[in-house]
Amino acid sequence: MTQQRVRGTRRVWLPAFFFGAFAVVIFGRLVQVQLIEHDIYAARAETERVGAETLNPPRGAILDRNGHVLATSVNTWDVYVNSRAWRDGADAESASQALAGLLQTDYDTGNIAAEQIRETVQQSKAVDVLVVRDIDYEVGLQVISAGIPGVILLSNTERVNPEGDTGASVLGFIGLDKSGLAGIEAQYEDVLRGKPGKAIYERDTTGEPIPFGHYIAMDPVRGQDLVLTIDRYLQGLVEERLAEAMEQHQARGGAIIVMNPKTGEILALATSPGLKYSTLDLSDASQMELLRNRAVTDLYEPGSVMKVITAAAAIDRGVVRPDTTYVDTGVVNVEGTILNNWRYESYGLQTMTGVLQHSINTGAVFMVDLLGAEVFHEYLEAFGFGKPTGIDLNGESGGIVRRPNDPDWSPVDLATQAFGQSISVTPMQMITAVAAVINGGELVRPHFVKAYVDSDGTRREVEPGVERRVISEEASATLRQMLTDVIGPASRLHPGKPDYYTAGGKSGTANVAVWNGYDDTQIASFVGFAPADDPEILVLVKLDENQDFETGTQAAAPVFAQLADEILQYLSIPPDDPVYVSGGR
Amino acid sequence: MAAINHPLGSPRRIPLPVPFARVNWLLVVAVGIVGLSAMLPVIQNSSATSAGFALQDLEGQQAQLEGEIRLLESDVARLTSLPRIERRALDIGLTPGPSPYFVTVSEPGPAPAKLPAEYLPGPVRQGDGTESWWRSLLRWLPLPD
Repeated sequence: MTQQRVRGTRRVWLPAFFFGAFAVVIFGRLVQVQLIEHDIYAARAETERVGAETLNPPRGAILDRNGHVLATSVNTWDVYVNSRAWRDGADAESASQALAGLLQTDYDTGNIAAEQIRETVQQSKAVDVLVVRDIDYEVGLQVISAGIPGVILLSNTERVNPEGDTGASVLGFIGLDKSGLAGIEAQYEDVLRGKPGKAIYERDTTGEPIPFGHYIAMDPVRGQDLVLTIDRYLQGLVEERLAEAMEQHQARGGAIIVMNPKTGEILALATSPGLKYSTLDLSDASQMELLRNRAVTDLYEPGSVMKVITAAAAIDRGVVRPDTTYVDTGVVNVEGTILNNWRYESYGLQTMTGVLQHSINTGAVFMVDLLGAEVFHEYLEAFGFGKPTGIDLNGESGGIVRRPNDPDWSPVDLATQAFGQSISVTPMQMITAVAAVINGGELVRPHFVKAYVDSDGTRREVEPGVERRVISEEASATLRQMLTDVIGPASRLHPGKPDYYTAGGKSGTANVAVWNGYDDTQIASFVGFAPADDPEILVLVKLDENQDFETGTQAAAPVFAQLADEILQYLSIPPDDPVYVSGGR
Repeated sequence: MAAINHPLGSPRRIPLPVPFARVNWLLVVAVGIVGLSAMLPVIQNSSATSAGFALQDLEGQQAQLEGEIRLLESDVARLTSLPRIERRALDIGLTPGPSPYFVTVSEPGPAPAKLPAEYLPGPVRQGDGTESWWRSLLRWLPLPD
């Protein structure tokens, strides 16, 4: 029996053709997806399946020189509400009441706060609406355990300052993005912030991380703690003394800096007006000027305190000795310009020590004449005037120094610079220069950070930075003695004489420079050190525009004297005044 | 057609069930192994998922404890702050003291106040002064100083 071959008909071939064509298209698409565009689709799938999360490390703490906390971070929560979950009015009301009750934003019933929360959510176009920022950690845990519908809590941190406003102008503050905006917080942002880590996780169809599909790609590195040179007790003390002095002399502002002259460590720094956490309001534009630390940003003409620098240059260069004499007539004629002493006084025959004791302007001009403009300016530069000291605080100014090669330079500028006018400095520059005069002649870099502490507790000390030698050790010892003679023995009754310690120092009273001249206001200042033979502290006191018009000796020197006694006693340095050492009082 | 009456043949015997002795144990074991192998990933996955949830839970607890530690540290800092100490001192009737008297004596001073240990340098390990036995052996060798 023969088998008849079946011939294909249109009914067979047509579907076969379409199915074949369809298979070819599918196959082609598979080739495109799996081979040609494999990388693109693989990356898309990875994005869908894998999520990433930035792990923010805790910000480092700021400690005082004895390890007491000045600024640290605590965990807080930001409260968000999913607006979709609160579409139903009844649900929103009950949830907002529950939330407000836990947050205790309204102390009586919670109704007003609940209403405010609902309004915030309703007025926002976002899905997840931020309703409260930085609630207490423990309150947040209560909110989480309450499981209020639509309420989401995200972890955050808040900076706290246990010492309150003490040292705020030095410490600065951080912004909402947790980065430093002023002070040490801004200056050491990289150190304090640490390094964020990264977590990679696989997620399910709802976007939730899959257990065991989570791994840390990069561990976050905790920010380092900073140990400052500041002492919290001394900081509070100088802030208190500055406020008292400003009130007593009706001063518009002021500054006090306490430095270790041997190392450049700043033990305390108070400025006014200055930043206060308790009254800080960033929405008030007038408070923006409080963000700068005036001790390093603002310039002033130092007046007679500059005679210390002039005398140091003259002694070091050997053009005068402490007992070199000249005759003071009360005035000096510089190229036709008459320069007077303070209050037109004249002192007759005077030594160079007498020039400092009586703060004689003509004596300073006498010394600078012997030095010459070029040499004097070499010393000014060596002492660091005209450029920032390099202190670790942002916004430092370099000062203004008119130089002999400036187009409008005149010899009168040189003469007035000798007694602290025609030159603008910051308080930090001034105290740093005087430190070099009394510490043996080396210019040290002022600094606020004493050590870094890593997350594992390793502590790295910051070594004092010596910029250069400015004057010889012999010249420095001579200047220490001359400045000690300014304050003199107890019998001299100088207002800058501490009760229990020997000390040296120099006052300054200068009119405030304005455009093309000076106005009627003044700045009274005093720079002093104690004990006289081996200075442990150097203190600069500056009072701006004191309305009682008392001089630096009258207004600022007593502040130094009181502080020297208090600070040295706190530092357990025994009195060295001969009266007390001999037990006579 | 007449039926022929003839005797029936012997009835067919129904086969008895296969006795146990004839079970193919090898096959059973193979099936068991295959079955267990198939179940193993399921068990493993289930166990991993449970452990993952436990791990997540522990991580949450760790984060919570870390948060509480930082909160406690902050509380300690607040309670030892100078304004708080001053306020407390005034509450219990203390007043600022007079100027101290300094007396020079030949005895060492008091130990310095204790500070938060975590922020201070670690203790320096100092030897007890006795030499280890192996180091004392080295002394017998003719080594250069």
